[in-house]
Amino acid sequence: MEPKTPHIIREFDEAFNALGKTVSMMAAQCLLNLERSIAGLLTRDIDLCRAVIADDNDVDDAELKVDAAGLEILVRFHPVATDLRKVISSMKVAANLERISDHAVNIAKRAKKMLGKMELPETQLVEPVYKMAYDLMKDALVAYTDQNAALGASLRDRDREIDRAHKRVIATFSERMEEGGDITEAYLHLIFVVRSLERVGDLAVNIGEDAVFLDRAEDIRYSKSRASDIAGEEEEESA
Amino acid sequence: MTRDDFIAVENFSFFYGEKQALHDIDMAIPERRVTALIGPSGCGKSTLLRNMNRMNDLIEGVRHRGDIRLNGHSLYDPKVEVISLRKRVGMVFQKYNPFAKTVYENVVFSLRVAGRNRKRELDEVVERSLRSAALWDEVKDRLHDSAFGLSGGQQQRLCIARAIANQPEILLMDEPCAALDPTATLKIESLIRELKEQFTIVIVTHNMEQATRCSDRTAFLYMGRLIEYGDTKQVFENPREEETEAYISGRFS
Repeated sequence: MEPKTPHIIREFDEAFNALGKTVSMMAAQCLLNLERSIAGLLTRDIDLCRAVIADDNDVDDAELKVDAAGLEILVRFHPVATDLRKVISSMKVAANLERISDHAVNIAKRAKKMLGKMELPETQLVEPVYKMAYDLMKDALVAYTDQNAALGASLRDRDREIDRAHKRVIATFSERMEEGGDITEAYLHLIFVVRSLERVGDLAVNIGEDAVFLDRAEDIRYSKSRASDIAGEEEEESA
Repeated sequence: MTRDDFIAVENFSFFYGEKQALHDIDMAIPERRVTALIGPSGCGKSTLLRNMNRMNDLIEGVRHRGDIRLNGHSLYDPKVEVISLRKRVGMVFQKYNPFAKTVYENVVFSLRVAGRNRKRELDEVVERSLRSAALWDEVKDRLHDSAFGLSGGQQQRLCIARAIANQPEILLMDEPCAALDPTATLKIESLIRELKEQFTIVIVTHNMEQATRCSDRTAFLYMGRLIEYGDTKQVFENPREEETEAYISGRFS
């Protein structure tokens, strides 16, 4: 995020770097929250679940800080070109990160509720969906930090794999629920957990689109064909 | 239909004696649009602007290579009379410079020089020009007062009224807001956007925000060369050239 050539106004670079650092710290906290929420679910660790719920406040604070810093840069320095796109995309990425952290909290709350119930062996089916969502989120953040449009645009196709996995796992959980009994509620919790992971995938795609905007000044949000074209450019370059 | 190359600058170079101020500039300036020329001091933007009505001819030892065409016709054609050229190309300067005359006489000055003295015609020109310059309502009761009694912003709009009194095709503006306060600046900018309905406008500005607010096209010049020329939105949102990005972002040493 640090600009290559120093700005004529030193305070601009300071404000800009502070904005970048806040987004990076927020991203690290979100990844950690997601990681701990799933670890809390899979290992039935209530402390991890509580930590995720408590630390979400830090993410909320960071989002407010990013928005305030972004607005201040817009008002004081009137950035243009890449600088302007960095400010706008930082604010959009922060909003997506905050929602990802909310999903981590949802997962942690569901995991906490499941602690009082019998352990379900199918809980492990959540893990592959989580890994896909986590990897997608990490790559979205790499695409954003490295201003890598091709990587950012490639996330949409990978998100479809998460959608498919999400549907398969939900079908399994739904079947178990139909069997009835005391464990119905626990399966319902798992369905919501997987749904949250599916949403994390969608939000990672949003961050990938922000990375494309930052790198190329292109808005590909509603253009599947353009996303495929940009994603394909990376493959062509590496071939 | 408007013409995309109403002012066609073709492989144009310009020399002050031995010093080359412009290097092979090629650009097509569209009709009835605002085109901004930006760049650091000494980059050649004012030199280029002043060549569009051959004001640089007045300087000793200058020469050029290449051509500038207005609506398809060369400015440097031997048949072109500089006086008639300047009727087609009005100019507004950085420092507002009304004549020591009344508001009315400032507007009709060029008409009187051309021998046009019919009161009805002059009255019509005064009202039309002052309305176009968004000044009529403010000065209609002070037409025969001294122009120096107007505020700075009003004096600059009077200069614009004077420049358009002859109904030129082109209006050149060399930092027209440099000596004005922010409110007067915004009024002039608003006026520029209105005037492009009637005139092709080329504006030199050091104020980047002004270029983004006023212009449809922006050209970035550096050391006498045209580095980038494109739609203003593209130049300020996603410049193609690194030098442009560095300059407009304030990372220019």
